Amino acid sequence: MAWIVENRLKPYQPTRSEPYLTASIKKHIEEKYFPRYPRKQAALLPLFHVMMHEYGFIAPEAMDEAADFLGISRAEVQDAVTFYEEFRLTPAGTYVVNVCRSISCELCGHRNVLQRIRDVFGIDPGETTDDGKITVFEVECLGACEQAPCALVNEDLHGNLKPDAFAERLRQLPAKPAQGH
Amino acid sequence: MAFPGPVLLKRIPDDPAQRKLFKFKDYVATGGYEALRKAMAMPPEDIIKLVIDSGLRGRGGAGFPCGTKWTFLPKDLHPRYLAVNYDESEPGTFKDRYLCDYDPHILLEGIAIAAYANRIAISYIYIRGEYHYQAKILEEAIQEAYANGIFGKPHPGTDIVHHCYLHRGAGAYICGEETGLLESLEGKRGWPRIKPPFPAVAGAFAKPTIINNVETLACLPSIIINGAAWFKSMGTPGSAGPKLYGASGHVNKPGVYEDELGIKMSTLIEKYCGGVKGKYKAAIPGGVSMGILGTDQYDAELDFDIGRKYNVLGLGTAGVIVMNDQTDLVVMLRNIVRFFAHESCGQCTPCREGTAWLHKMLSRIIAGFGKPKDFDLLMEVALSMGIGPGTTICGLADGANWAVKTFLQKFPEDFKSRLKSGQVRGVLLSSAAGV
Repeated sequence: MAWIVENRLKPYQPTRSEPYLTASIKKHIEEKYFPRYPRKQAALLPLFHVMMHEYGFIAPEAMDEAADFLGISRAEVQDAVTFYEEFRLTPAGTYVVNVCRSISCELCGHRNVLQRIRDVFGIDPGETTDDGKITVFEVECLGACEQAPCALVNEDLHGNLKPDAFAERLRQLPAKPAQGH
Repeated sequence: MAFPGPVLLKRIPDDPAQRKLFKFKDYVATGGYEALRKAMAMPPEDIIKLVIDSGLRGRGGAGFPCGTKWTFLPKDLHPRYLAVNYDESEPGTFKDRYLCDYDPHILLEGIAIAAYANRIAISYIYIRGEYHYQAKILEEAIQEAYANGIFGKPHPGTDIVHHCYLHRGAGAYICGEETGLLESLEGKRGWPRIKPPFPAVAGAFAKPTIINNVETLACLPSIIINGAAWFKSMGTPGSAGPKLYGASGHVNKPGVYEDELGIKMSTLIEKYCGGVKGKYKAAIPGGVSMGILGTDQYDAELDFDIGRKYNVLGLGTAGVIVMNDQTDLVVMLRNIVRFFAHESCGQCTPCREGTAWLHKMLSRIIAGFGKPKDFDLLMEVALSMGIGPGTTICGLADGANWAVKTFLQKFPEDFKSRLKSGQVRGVLLSSAAGV
């Protein structure tokens, strides 16, 4: 999606005093990814995947730091990062539930899954529960149409969803996840 | 025409309980990397000729002859790159995911063969961001392949060292378009490029680049082992070889099945998928951009000629989506159009605006505010966008174009019955869009 824009109505509050691009992330990218590509800029996607994994969202400062690190302009970083849907610019809940809404999942009843989540947790797509545990999104095809309806919970695919059982499963998720975003 | 049994899925049994991940040693124990050894003993030109003779056509959707594509590489221009298109994002398509879930080395062997034949310096596997599990599997398989000398060594007779890396996308359908993929590989937004120059001349990092689909490359080992005549013995004259078919939607046993090209859709549904849930009404032959097959086209042959014969765009990825007679086709078309509106990269105006307006119009019709002129208006907007009418850079809008066009042509009554004349007051598009 090409039109993610900054919300200028709310004043921006930095969430972290140290740099997002830590020495260990720099080292990881320099050693693993820079040798793979003829240009440093190509390490942009791997770098922001690491950032997402570490922080769960991409802060404006993180983009500025990445620009200096990759040797490209800040505009170029922002241009690329805002294009990709997986790079969220705002923090989300501990568990991000991406419910697929594409054709096979709609045929097999993805709306019932969303409705059940709405009933149990009181959240619509794009919203987070008050305790900050679950954020639900509606996304396009996850490439698991034979298991429709399906959803990604953080990095794990859940297929053949039964609305009640899935909502119960989400309710029973531990407060801290085994892995990051 | 005779199908000898699974070729690509030979390591993946039908019974889900028996499926397991084939690691390097399991793969070698079942004849893996035999083809690579045989290929390395052949001159690269002979491999390209063999692939041309086999009639292997690209499995990613366009069906371009694979060997011919390789010949477009300019002579003596190095380094050359191979970009493996694993950005499988088309709704209804999941064959490549399924293949690499269990048998990642068949892809790596195909990559090694293609790289040797074309003197490739680096192969990038561009995998979509949502495939977290598959990325882990492939990363491990690549490490195993490095440890066993498949990658990281010079091609025989040259000093070109071949490397293979995984590159993860981050959730954008358009990055499956070949030049959008290259832009994304370079760390930019995935905006498709204007061609020419074609990727074979100036692709990734402005160097000659071949882009092949996962399934295309996975076909190579069997072609090397069994020869072109064997490969051609499957399928139809214009569409040779085995094919992975995905089936989803209203079928009893959705999944990935392998047969030769050119089988009837009814065969796929009845022989493999346990029949339709309910009564068949319509089906999409290969991912939502291909358009729809009508109620009377249940027996359509699934091969590269399907577009010409049955008024759809083409075979696409052969991810068949079946719909029964309880399906509301207007809602399904809105789903398809919303997908394109959401995934349009925004570069070309007809696509960016056209898909969004089609979505708004269909939402309005579903909300009960359809007007008789909407039928023609939908058609007019749809037909105005895409490579076909020559108004966009890439083929994304053609998908929306063909979907709307074929839905309206083949099921006009489903739409016309929703359109009523009379004054419509107080319609808020924003509220209609939320239905």
